[in-house]
Amino acid sequence: MLSVLVHAAPPPLPAEHLSVQQLPPKSPHWVYVYDEAFDNEIDARVHLFDGDSYRRLGQIDAGFLPSVSVSPDGTTTAVATTYFARGSRGARTDVVEFTDNATLATTGEIVLPSKRAQTSPTIFNMGYSTDGHFLYAAYLTPAASFGVLDPARRAVLGEIDTAGCVLVIPWGANRVSSLCESGRLLTVTLDAQGHETARALSEPFFDPDRDPVFVQGVPTARGYAFLSFLGEVHELDLSGAQPAFAQPWSLLSPAEQGRWRPGADQVGAVHRGLGRLYVPMHQGGEGTHKDGGTEVWVFDMAAHRRLARWPMQAAGLSRVLAVQVSQDPAPILFAATEAADVAVFDALTGKLRHVEKHLGQTPWMMLNP
Amino acid sequence: MRSLDHLFEHSSRSLARRTSRRSLLASLGQLLTGAALLPLLPVDRGGRAWGSEAKPDSPESCEYWKYCAIDGFLCSCCGGTSSSCPPGTATSPITWIGTCHNPGDGRDYIVSYNDCCGKTSCGNCECNRNEREQPMYRPSRNNDLNWCMANADSNYHCSVSVILGVAEK
Repeated sequence: MLSVLVHAAPPPLPAEHLSVQQLPPKSPHWVYVYDEAFDNEIDARVHLFDGDSYRRLGQIDAGFLPSVSVSPDGTTTAVATTYFARGSRGARTDVVEFTDNATLATTGEIVLPSKRAQTSPTIFNMGYSTDGHFLYAAYLTPAASFGVLDPARRAVLGEIDTAGCVLVIPWGANRVSSLCESGRLLTVTLDAQGHETARALSEPFFDPDRDPVFVQGVPTARGYAFLSFLGEVHELDLSGAQPAFAQPWSLLSPAEQGRWRPGADQVGAVHRGLGRLYVPMHQGGEGTHKDGGTEVWVFDMAAHRRLARWPMQAAGLSRVLAVQVSQDPAPILFAATEAADVAVFDALTGKLRHVEKHLGQTPWMMLNP
Repeated sequence: MRSLDHLFEHSSRSLARRTSRRSLLASLGQLLTGAALLPLLPVDRGGRAWGSEAKPDSPESCEYWKYCAIDGFLCSCCGGTSSSCPPGTATSPITWIGTCHNPGDGRDYIVSYNDCCGKTSCGNCECNRNEREQPMYRPSRNNDLNWCMANADSNYHCSVSVILGVAEK
C-alpha cells in the first residue's frame, strides 16, 4: 500500500537557479508611481507598475523628499534627492542619481550643492530640456534659483538666480520658466554651455490673490495646463519663441461654481493625442485645494466641454490624490487614492479594470514611461 | 515677542536673499496685515487626517483650532506639544505664518508653523489642513516646503503651530 502511494506522488520540483529578473519590453501602460513614504521620509521610492498585468515590475530608491523626472527618450529616470551621512542625521548630500529604465540599475550620479528644493512632488521640481541635453534642478534655500546640469557628462554647469520665482518648467532646447509670486512667468534662455543669455518676465497670467493656480502643471500637446483653485484652466503654449497664454476656461458650469473644485497632489492628466483632460474634483470651499477628488471629471480640451463624471466612491475608492493617463490609443487612467490604492480605469469609458491595494505608502505623483 | 523678533529676523534674512527690499517690505506687510484682513469664511474642515481619535479641542487632534493650515505630523503626538518640539530635535529657524480662529475665545491669532528637525518623520497623527494656504510661489504662505531646509540637519520630524499674537481686525 505504501509503495502505491509513493508511486502516485508527483515528481519532485527541479532545483532552481537564483537569478535577477529582467524587465520585459517597455509598455505605454507602465507607470512610475512616486511614493514619498511619508511616515519614514528618508526612504522614498518609485514603483514601476504595469497597468496590464497589474504587477509591480521593480523599484527605484529615492531617498528624502525626492524630485523625479523621466528623460525625453524614456531611457533614464533621474532622481534628485538628499542623503544624510548617518541615515536620518548627519552631513547632507544632495545628489541626482540616474537609473537605466531598461534594467532599473543605477548608472551614475551628479552631486549637487545642498540647495535642492525639498518639497511636495511636482513635475517642475526637476526637468530635462526637450532634447535631453540639459537637466534642470529647482533650488530653494529659501532663496530661489535652479541648477543647470549636463546629464551626459554628469556635471553641474551652473546656477541661475530666479529672483524669487520658483520651480523649473523646461521648454525647447534651452529655455526654463519659473512661476512668480506676481502671477508672471520668468523665462531664462541659456547658451550651449548652460549660461544665461537672456531673461524675460511675462505679463501676469493668473491672479494669485483672487484665484491661485496649482504648481502641479499638466503637460499638453503644446505646453502645459495650469488649473486654478476655483477650477479655471490656464493653457500655456510653449511652441513658439515666447510663452503664449490662451484665454482661461472653466471646469465648472455657473451652477457648479463655488460648490465643486479641483484638488489633489497631482491635480490633472492630459491625453495629448485625444485632447482629453482628467481632473480629480470634490465639493468644498476655501482651504480644500489639497483634498482629493471624490469624482474624476473628463474634459474635451478643444471644445472646453465636460465629457464624463466618474464617481470614485461607487468604484469602492477613497479620494483620489493623483492621476495619470497613458498616451497610447487605448489609454489607461491611473488614479492613486488616500488609501494608497492605485486604480486602473479604461480612460475612454471609465470602466474600472483593477484596484491595486497599497501600492506603496503615499503615492502622490505618477509619471508615464 | 522675543520669538516674533527671532522669527522675523530669520524670515527677513531669508526673504532678503530672494527679493528686492521693496518686495520684502510688501511681503512682510502682507504677512502682518493681509493675513489678518482675509475673511474667515465658513469652510469644510475635512482636510486629511489620519491616526488620531483625539477630541477636536485636543492638541493631538487635527481639528484643533491652531492647526488650520498645518501639513505634517503633529508634534503633540510625537513627544512635543503644539508649540514645542520633541526631545532631541531642533527647531526650524525659518517658517511660514498663517491666521487661525480660536472658537474658545472668538479671536483670530497669527501663528507660525515651524517644523521640528533632525530626526526622521514621526509618522504619528498626520494632519493636512490648508486654510488660506497658497502654492510654493508664495513661500511665506506655503506648507508643502520642508521648513527644516535651512537647518544643519534638514531631516523633517514633525510640525508645531506657535501663537505669535492676536490678529488685528
